[in-house]
Amino acid sequence: MNQTTETLINATINGKAISAPEYLSVIQALWHAGYPRIKSVGCLEGVCGTCRVLVRRQNSQNITTELGCQVLIEEGMQVNFLAFPTPAQQHYKLEDIRNSWEVQNNFHTIFPEAENCRHCGGCNTTCPKGINVEKGVILAAKGRFREAGDLFTECVLCDLCQSACPENIAPNHVGIFSRRVTAHLHTRPSNLINRLERLRKGELKVVI
Amino acid sequence: MTNNISYQEALANYKAVAERPLPEVNYEGLLEKYHPDYFKDACVQLKIGPNKGDICHIQLAEMLQADARIDEADLAGAQVIETDILIIGGGGAGCAAALTAAETGARVLIATKLRLGDSNTVMAEGGVQVSIEKDDTPQQHYDDTLRSADRSVDKTLVAEMVMSAPDVIRWLIQQGMQFDLDEYGDLLTRKAGGTTAPRVVYFRDYTGLEMMRVLKEAVRSSEIEVLDYVPTVELLSDEDGHCTGAVLSSLEDNRYKLVKAKSVIIATGGIGRLHLNGFPTSNHFGATGDGLVLAYRLGAKLRDLDSFQYHPSGLAYPQHLSGTLITEGVRSAGAYLLNAQGERFVDELQSRDKVAAAIMRECAEGRGVDAGNGIKGIWIDTPGLELKNPGIFNARFPKLIKIGKKSSIDPRKQPLLIYPTLHYQNGGVIINKHGQTNIPGLYCVGEVSGGIHGRNRLMGNSLLEIISFGRRAGIHAAKYSPRKPFRKVTIEHLSRLRRELMLADMPMDPKGPILFPAYAKFETDSDYSGLHKNIKSK
Ligand SMILES: Cc1cc2nc3c(=O)[nH]c(=O)nc-3n(C[C@H](O)[C@H](O)[C@H](O)COP(=O)(O)OP(=O)(O)OC[C@H]3O[C@@H](n4cnc5c(N)ncnc54)[C@H](O)[C@@H]3O)c2cc1C
Ligand code: SF4
Ligand code: SF4
Repeated sequence: MNQTTETLINATINGKAISAPEYLSVIQALWHAGYPRIKSVGCLEGVCGTCRVLVRRQNSQNITTELGCQVLIEEGMQVNFLAFPTPAQQHYKLEDIRNSWEVQNNFHTIFPEAENCRHCGGCNTTCPKGINVEKGVILAAKGRFREAGDLFTECVLCDLCQSACPENIAPNHVGIFSRRVTAHLHTRPSNLINRLERLRKGELKVVI
Repeated sequence: MTNNISYQEALANYKAVAERPLPEVNYEGLLEKYHPDYFKDACVQLKIGPNKGDICHIQLAEMLQADARIDEADLAGAQVIETDILIIGGGGAGCAAALTAAETGARVLIATKLRLGDSNTVMAEGGVQVSIEKDDTPQQHYDDTLRSADRSVDKTLVAEMVMSAPDVIRWLIQQGMQFDLDEYGDLLTRKAGGTTAPRVVYFRDYTGLEMMRVLKEAVRSSEIEVLDYVPTVELLSDEDGHCTGAVLSSLEDNRYKLVKAKSVIIATGGIGRLHLNGFPTSNHFGATGDGLVLAYRLGAKLRDLDSFQYHPSGLAYPQHLSGTLITEGVRSAGAYLLNAQGERFVDELQSRDKVAAAIMRECAEGRGVDAGNGIKGIWIDTPGLELKNPGIFNARFPKLIKIGKKSSIDPRKQPLLIYPTLHYQNGGVIINKHGQTNIPGLYCVGEVSGGIHGRNRLMGNSLLEIISFGRRAGIHAAKYSPRKPFRKVTIEHLSRLRRELMLADMPMDPKGPILFPAYAKFETDSDYSGLHKNIKSK
């Protein structure tokens, strides 16, 4: 329990040799060692998708992509922060999709590349959240938007899959589109609608 | 110092039991004795500005009375950008304002400190308050908010907010936000601490993530212009005291940019990363209270500057996750809080200020858990909840299971150690129902504004507030600004600030807003050498 006898871990972060206690994330370790770090830092809880890092562990040839606030420092670890500009995005308005019969057609206009998925799995490998991104793209291209969207429940829009995709599919945006269109066209809760009706008729007031 | 009980011993005292009766609890004098808002020497009187003479937290006071980061010379040669409506801050409030304003065809620019969506909004877990259940009314929502506020609030703002709540949820669904639904497609609700009806709607424990990524996607796929990594360091004004734009500092090219705007909407969120009273925080990296400083210098009046919310359940152990929030949803679902002797000591669904103070009382009186290195806390009985309601963590609290993995503790099997964490700024800039401040052309929305929560905010009222007032400000600014001409842009108000500082005999070396917490070392970072530094800051 007691951390008074702290073990220090040696790692390389952005080319700098760093020693820090084992319970720190790589961002905290960088700060601990006295180095500044502002860009690629966000919520520090793994939900904003900003702190993308490339990680190579000791005795491993593999390079993984992860979120810097979520990776604890390990002996011999090599870490590099990735800063790339936000990629350009599709322009569309959900309101332009007139009804649920039209979604597929609209989808393929907005994401013409989605049909070209070559099942390389690059998106799956890069995703720090372990999402089956490829399957999501395939389902969406078939028009199964609810199912596709459900796969992206934990997506933090870190854009890593987007940079990995050789076909420029923007798989993360395919996923969020699928989620949004499902809510936009199908979420119709009767308890909410009843309340809106009563408010519209002026039946409910607040006395200050 | 009181000796608490060691982690191992306390763990041995603990047994998972599904039902435990509530003991007699004494709330008399609890807040005054244990809540950080009442700490001796925590507050001072402001010496300059529109709130001169008012009580304010000492660390915030230092920022509000700091000198500006720039002067006249920085404006010469700066790139100039023109827009109808400038929105400062890319969280939930900023995006809601931008989307509604852009719908009318107004030119909208969002300028944000980090990346669009890096915010407190994306971290919210628990949910949004909206009275939709049969036995619930907007009046009850209003009454609950006032009762828990425990101080005067702006009643008009609260009434406007609760009445608009159902339409806020409809708007969010139209933007494409999903909520947890029952088998018939109705919104599921749960009860928040301090409320009389189940009224919180949610998406798993990812309510904020779902909200933020939908709004972010809506903004990015629209005509709205977005600038990332451009923290605002100053507002611009003309000789009549109108707000006419802002000065941005670009972390990309280390230059200042000048934005001329017909309306400015500040949506910079909270203050947790000032670590008031040395507390850890649940807030995101950019929550340093900048908006309060910017607005105050231009003459906007603030309120409730001595009141902050310490969320009862911040993770206390392990150390690297200290301050991380465990959503109130877990207590709403029925989890107990237990001291080191394995006993309940508070009604877990009392208002947050009382629950937080009660936890601090346990630890001050020797009934807390001591995890070494000064880490103390009490248990949140997650295994008991799992026993009562098998499978609930997997279904409802996936984020918590993840936190458990990072701490090598399975919350379904072992209770987690918690201690209050700095969570929310209760007060802020005074606004009317359109989000307007007393400065013409300047709006403030979201956590940066004040008047709704008094001394204690109810869970779910903040996500409601940011969308409700974000939309109002967007609509109002879009209606009144596009046809107006651009006004002059100056930093004349800084001469007034510097005069006042001198007259009050105040130090000129702290510069504000601070933009980043000290441990990120922005002030010494050679990467940003084109921008003014505040070397004297710690
Ligand atoms: C962990 C956590 C859980 C929460 N859970 C809930 C909940 O369940 N229900 C609820 O109702 N509320 C909850 N809250 C509170 C709620 O999330 C926030 O109060 C709310 O989201 C604030 O929204 P905002 O848009 O005002 O600010 P934010 O979402 O914080 O956005 C502020 C934006 O302004 C930017 N900014 C800051 N300074 C500058 C500057 N100088 N220049 C330019 N940009 C700047 C920031 O980078 C950020 O993008 C929670 C808060 C936290 C931290
Ligand atoms: S799906 Fe893509 S954007 Fe979403 S978390 Fe995975 S890699 Fe990041
Ligand atoms: S990276 Fe692109 S092409 Fe490869 S599987 Fe994923 S979506 Fe398909």
